[in-house]
Amino acid sequence: MNAKLLEIEGLSAGYGAVPVLRGIALHVAAGEIVTLVGSNGAGKTTLLRAISRTLASRGRIRFDGRDLGALSPEAVFALGLVQVPEGRQLFARMSVEENLQMGAYLRRDAAGIARSFERVYRLFPVLFERRRQKAGSLSGGEQQMCAMGRALMAAPRLLVVDEMSLGLAPVVVDQLLGVLAEIRGEGVTILLVEQDVFAAFSVADRGYVLETGRIVREGKVSELAADPEVRRAYLGVAEAG
Amino acid sequence: MLFAQILVNGVLLGGLYGLMALGMALVWGVLNIVNLAHGALIMLGGYAVYFLFTGAGIDPFAALPMAMTGMFCFGYLLQRLLLNLIVRSALLNTLLISFGLDVVLTYVAQWAFTADFRAINPSYAGANITLAGITVPLARLAAFAVALLLAGLLWLLLNRTRLGRAIRATAQNLVAARLYGVEPRQLYAVTFGIGAALAGAAGGLYGVVAQITPYVGTSLTAKSFVIAIIGGLDNPLSVVLGGLVIGIAESAASLYLGPTYADVISFGLLVLILVARPARSLRMA
Ligand SMILES: Nc1ncnc2c1ncn2[C@@H]1O[C@H](COP(=O)(O)OP(=O)(O)OP(=O)(O)O)[C@@H](O)[C@H]1O
Ligand SMILES: [Mg+2]
Repeated sequence: MNAKLLEIEGLSAGYGAVPVLRGIALHVAAGEIVTLVGSNGAGKTTLLRAISRTLASRGRIRFDGRDLGALSPEAVFALGLVQVPEGRQLFARMSVEENLQMGAYLRRDAAGIARSFERVYRLFPVLFERRRQKAGSLSGGEQQMCAMGRALMAAPRLLVVDEMSLGLAPVVVDQLLGVLAEIRGEGVTILLVEQDVFAAFSVADRGYVLETGRIVREGKVSELAADPEVRRAYLGVAEAG
Repeated sequence: MLFAQILVNGVLLGGLYGLMALGMALVWGVLNIVNLAHGALIMLGGYAVYFLFTGAGIDPFAALPMAMTGMFCFGYLLQRLLLNLIVRSALLNTLLISFGLDVVLTYVAQWAFTADFRAINPSYAGANITLAGITVPLARLAAFAVALLLAGLLWLLLNRTRLGRAIRATAQNLVAARLYGVEPRQLYAVTFGIGAALAGAAGGLYGVVAQITPYVGTSLTAKSFVIAIIGGLDNPLSVVLGGLVIGIAESAASLYLGPTYADVISFGLLVLILVARPARSLRMA
């Protein structure tokens, strides 16, 4: 496959003296959709914090061949590693359009920003309809779309989405998964963190399973979905016999 | 007719009050600092315009932009060097530090400028126009117009520019603002600078319609606080409306109850608000 866009080796991190992640190794190749699954408290969000450099860590994180260890969160963002945070974190009392503009805060290329607006409104037509509405008054699904749209406004090379499906109806989740596939088709690499393993496996190429701070399984999603242990623990499938 | 005169007096005064509160509401909403030194910044702005007028002969309204520029720089540095330590920290910390700052600024002003009353008296200070039996002092009318103009400019800055968007975004969700590349320390310093510049303008106008001493800050802080609570922290135009409410109430009180009662109005409202809505008033942001 293509070159590795994100490459993590021997990564450990925690809060104060409490270790959460131990010796994580993970990579995402350019053009891939990779999913990271695991139950509550496994350390998924913690891993994303380490990647975005909002949490100190040991080990190696490379993005596009560059070591992120010494960079600030702002610098990592400026390289094109953009997060859609857990809980969406919209600017609730600002309009949808202004939320999208904030995604492009660091960009100065007016023409490029206009193209990003077109792209976001094409992917999420409902955001265009509601562009003057306060983000806080959107439905849960629309808020997630707004959060993803805002991230796309930053022209990401790697889009990291944390708990995209949380609290959303299955039909909305399906729609968002479709959009992820479309975004990837436009050349954006995706790291998707999910508890809804079924949904995540339906769109991803490869997956990692995180349990109490360690990667316990990795591989193509077809292989993972066939793994009896994964099926039992995450897909709720009882093995016959 | 008397009622109309009270209304006009109150509205003219209230516009200026609104301007006084604008900077306080802005800083409170974005930095979560209840700045007890806000009135002292107004006082410094008053002296700046006073000395530009008496010392350099610059018309007070022409001196406003200069005083605002100076106050912006002062506010920016104050935030960068001192107040960044307490941004979004516990309420008590921000109250203590800003109270200390208020004491220092007042003391320095007393030492540097003496405790004398100062009034900014341009040639047109006493000029009036009379409309349908109502007297409108020109200087107050001009001060009112400038206050409205600045409130409108602040609204435009907050709602129509990239900087203003970042300021509001940071006020609403610091985590997300940082995630998308906003550098909060720099933004906080700029915001505090804008707040100080607005205070400076309010001080200059206050010197034209009233008198400045090193001690006016305290009562102006209290007024600004009350108005910020009435007007809310989100919208400059509603802060100005809050100012009008206080201005009209004060002008009615000074007529019906006597001039010494004017101050009682805002302090009375302050007590009422603190008793009735303590949670809202102290954690509005
Ligand atoms: N800010 C924090 N301070 C201290 N401990 C934390 C903090 N955030 C998370 N933890 C702890 O770290 C562990 C991993 O949390 P994390 O949020 O990374 O899990 P997660 O896999 O994202 O879970 P979820 O699916 O519920 O979002 C948990 O035990 C949690 O209690
Ligand atoms: Mg999480």
